[in-house]
Amino acid sequence: MSDRKIVKVCCGTGCLANGSGVLFEKLLEKSKIKGDFAVDILVKSTGCNGLCEKGPLIKIEPDGITYCKVKLSDIDEIYEKTILKGEAIERLLFSDSSGKKTKSHKDTEFYKRQVKLALRNIGEIDPTCIEDYIERDGYKAIYKALFEMTPEDIIKEVEKSKIRGRGGAGFLTYRKWMGAKKVDSFPKYVVCNGDEGDPGAFMDRSVMEGDPHSIIEGMIICARYLDSHKGYIYIRDEYGLAIKNMKAAIEDAKNHGYLGKNILGSGFDFDIEIVRGGGAFVCGESTALMSSIEGKVGEPRAKYIHSNEKGLWGQPTVLNNVETWANIPLIILKGGEWFAGYGTENSKGTKVFSLVGKVKNTGLVEVPMGTTLRELIFDIGGGIIGNKKFKAVQTGGPSGGCIPEGLLDLKVDFDTLTEAGSMMGSGGMIVMDERTCMVDVARYYIKFLSEESCGKCAPCREGIKRMLEILTDICEGRGKEGDIELLEEICSMVESAALCGLGKTAPNPVMTTLKYFKDEYIEHIENKRCPAGVCKNLTTFFIDSEKCVGCGLCRKNCPADCISGEIKKPHFIDASKCIKCGSCIENCRFSAVKVK
Amino acid sequence: MIIKIDGKECTAQKGEYLLSIARRNGIEIPTLCHSDALPGIGSCRLCIVEVVEKGRSRVVTSCIFPVMGEIEVLTNSKKIRNMRKTLLMLYLARVPENEKIKKLAEEYGAVVPERFSADKSEDCILCGLCVKACESLGSSAISTVNRGVTKKVSTPYDEPSKECIGCGSCAYVCPTNAMKIKEKDGIRTIWNKDFKLIKCEKCGEYFATKEQIEYINKKKGFNLEDEMLCDKCKKKKAGERLKEVFEDYRE
Ligand SMILES: Cc1cc2nc3c(=O)[nH]c(=O)nc-3n(C[C@H](O)[C@H](O)[C@H](O)COP(=O)(O)O)c2cc1C
Ligand code: SF4
Ligand code: SF4
Ligand code: FES
Repeated sequence: MSDRKIVKVCCGTGCLANGSGVLFEKLLEKSKIKGDFAVDILVKSTGCNGLCEKGPLIKIEPDGITYCKVKLSDIDEIYEKTILKGEAIERLLFSDSSGKKTKSHKDTEFYKRQVKLALRNIGEIDPTCIEDYIERDGYKAIYKALFEMTPEDIIKEVEKSKIRGRGGAGFLTYRKWMGAKKVDSFPKYVVCNGDEGDPGAFMDRSVMEGDPHSIIEGMIICARYLDSHKGYIYIRDEYGLAIKNMKAAIEDAKNHGYLGKNILGSGFDFDIEIVRGGGAFVCGESTALMSSIEGKVGEPRAKYIHSNEKGLWGQPTVLNNVETWANIPLIILKGGEWFAGYGTENSKGTKVFSLVGKVKNTGLVEVPMGTTLRELIFDIGGGIIGNKKFKAVQTGGPSGGCIPEGLLDLKVDFDTLTEAGSMMGSGGMIVMDERTCMVDVARYYIKFLSEESCGKCAPCREGIKRMLEILTDICEGRGKEGDIELLEEICSMVESAALCGLGKTAPNPVMTTLKYFKDEYIEHIENKRCPAGVCKNLTTFFIDSEKCVGCGLCRKNCPADCISGEIKKPHFIDASKCIKCGSCIENCRFSAVKVK
Repeated sequence: MIIKIDGKECTAQKGEYLLSIARRNGIEIPTLCHSDALPGIGSCRLCIVEVVEKGRSRVVTSCIFPVMGEIEVLTNSKKIRNMRKTLLMLYLARVPENEKIKKLAEEYGAVVPERFSADKSEDCILCGLCVKACESLGSSAISTVNRGVTKKVSTPYDEPSKECIGCGSCAYVCPTNAMKIKEKDGIRTIWNKDFKLIKCEKCGEYFATKEQIEYINKKKGFNLEDEMLCDKCKKKKAGERLKEVFEDYRE
């Protein structure tokens, strides 16, 4: 009998962009070479492994070898040495932030601390191959839900799991479902929110791309509970691969009898349709999303009557986030109590974060609720890039908040993040180092929101516009006495008077930076100085002659040619010619460049 | 069901909007985007009030808040007045010369900080009432375009609209009188489009556009062409007829 080798090529969007497509083709071609070797090779393309930055990734099993940053020219060697002979190629192995090489990605600091529930199959299976999903217990939960459980049994498991929605507000999922069940009005609808409008977030995308059947299975279970026969998956229009894989998965599920008429002979019908998103950030908000599905403008409406009572076309509708849906089959299969074994008192299970910014290991990480920010950023993320200091972490998407160093030991869950003035949102996590100006950060997010607010209600539209005006002025040196109080006044009104979640949370970036970094605002306004050296009008760089060793690195890198000095002697910056690009401060290894 | 608004007991039907209950009971709540004929926009947020339920207070939008239980409402608490003040400050910064907003702002003591830039010729507060009026008439000639801070009310591509019948309903409902309708020498100009006005056969005053009359004829399935009278003359004529009938009777 021949040895079987499984070669998994990561074909998530990140790796594809780095050329994993051709690697896959080449390996496939190689696998077909007939020789008299005792190996039988199976090449698979998988979804995102979460470590996009190190891509393209290739995993070889059962040897448990993971290669990073693989190039086309490496393929022959991988084939000869690793696939045929089982030898690892040192150069391609994953190296930790300390430079230590690790054979399998699973032994790295990045992976070791993660618990993969929602992401259980991603990177392991070929998302376009339903058999792969079935092999890993896929669609087992719907057998249970259709033939062994009553609707009451289903809701009991979801209730025991205490799972809260992963899309933002953290609403208890079983309550939402029960609310829709109670209303005696049919048809009822089941909707998946795959809009994922947060810039930089890609957790929902990677589930839709890498494990589409888990979402379908989750939705079927809810449909069975509600006696709903129609579901919609609303996917952000830019997510081409997600749309393609979701579509193919729906077709495959139908062909296998898991979806459509008379599912598995149970007499229960359920079908799912894909709707492409309207393109605006606010379309991810539940009521805007529903009006967009109905073919109307994607603008929010007041939620005094919940959409689980009156949602799509005025009918009871359950809307959940992609990650929420992906967890449901596990809860049914392994039980609500098992799921509730992970997490904190009031936030159960795990959460997927997209860890980006100034950390060494960026990517998708799934950890139990209650993991501290420090573990996320310093253990999993490997700490801050370069010899810089951590300054803040921004969580919760554009209308989340910035959390300072003093709160690094915060155990992350829905409630602790809210208490800190930020929020869970969909799980964005952007790490910022000391070279970040917090006023500029607030301005950046408010600018984003000013373009993304639907503009329907006045507090959000006019409030954001004026906040942006004030913040821009502060960053450009036109800050005035009273600006901080004015910002605070506008924030507190907008927070309560805006119509939808976007407006109600829009003040967060301003309020949290004011709360934790007020000194920085004051420096900008009163002393016309940006301590981080980011706001150009308020920055003067100089070289500390005590610290400067005269290496000349800053001089060589200065695009404006305004640094002078002889080798091994202190250098000088001609402030009159400096364009404040910050290249000198970034390049100096002796912390000799400073902000006046 | 009895609810308490500013200490006064008011009867309410389940599901009734808070604003209408308050108004029925003589309690005034300021509004901009609300019109009894076109309810449900909820965009101006001036009608916010505090609702106390089970000891917890929250801010709701009274024009679209359906009353479902026995609640206590504060329409003019310090918190609400402060929020309206800030909101009106923002409105006034947007439309600094608008009479209606100036008056409201004064009532709440709102003044615009000098630091804000302003367009003195602007009068529209983007409440969306005109769009809704046009839509409910069935013309949908105007809509809000763009999103976020660049939002505005306009005809498609800012071109004169084919759908517009020049009825002026948009201008009629506008809370801030932002719509500029010009009428000169029998021509009404609205949304960059000229309309010929029809004279009342009796008093000779211009009273409607040709397109408007055609539109009504088509909608209602009758022909107004026979008697082109303005509302005033129509009433007068009806009164005269009544008088004739009475006089006939007396004879
Ligand atoms: C401005 C705005 C944008 C949102 N965008 C998303 C999104 O992209 N994806 C998502 O799942 N939820 C988004 N939400 C949250 C949804 O309104 C809704 O709460 C969620 O999809 C419900 O699912 P869950 O209970 O599973 O979290 C957004 C909310 C707001 C206010
Ligand atoms: S809060 Fe902002 S996004 Fe939401 S309805 Fe109002 S204007 Fe639109
Ligand atoms: S023109 Fe008048 S009615 Fe229309 S949106 Fe502006 S303020 Fe409202
Ligand atoms: S009157 Fe209620 S929001 Fe405008």
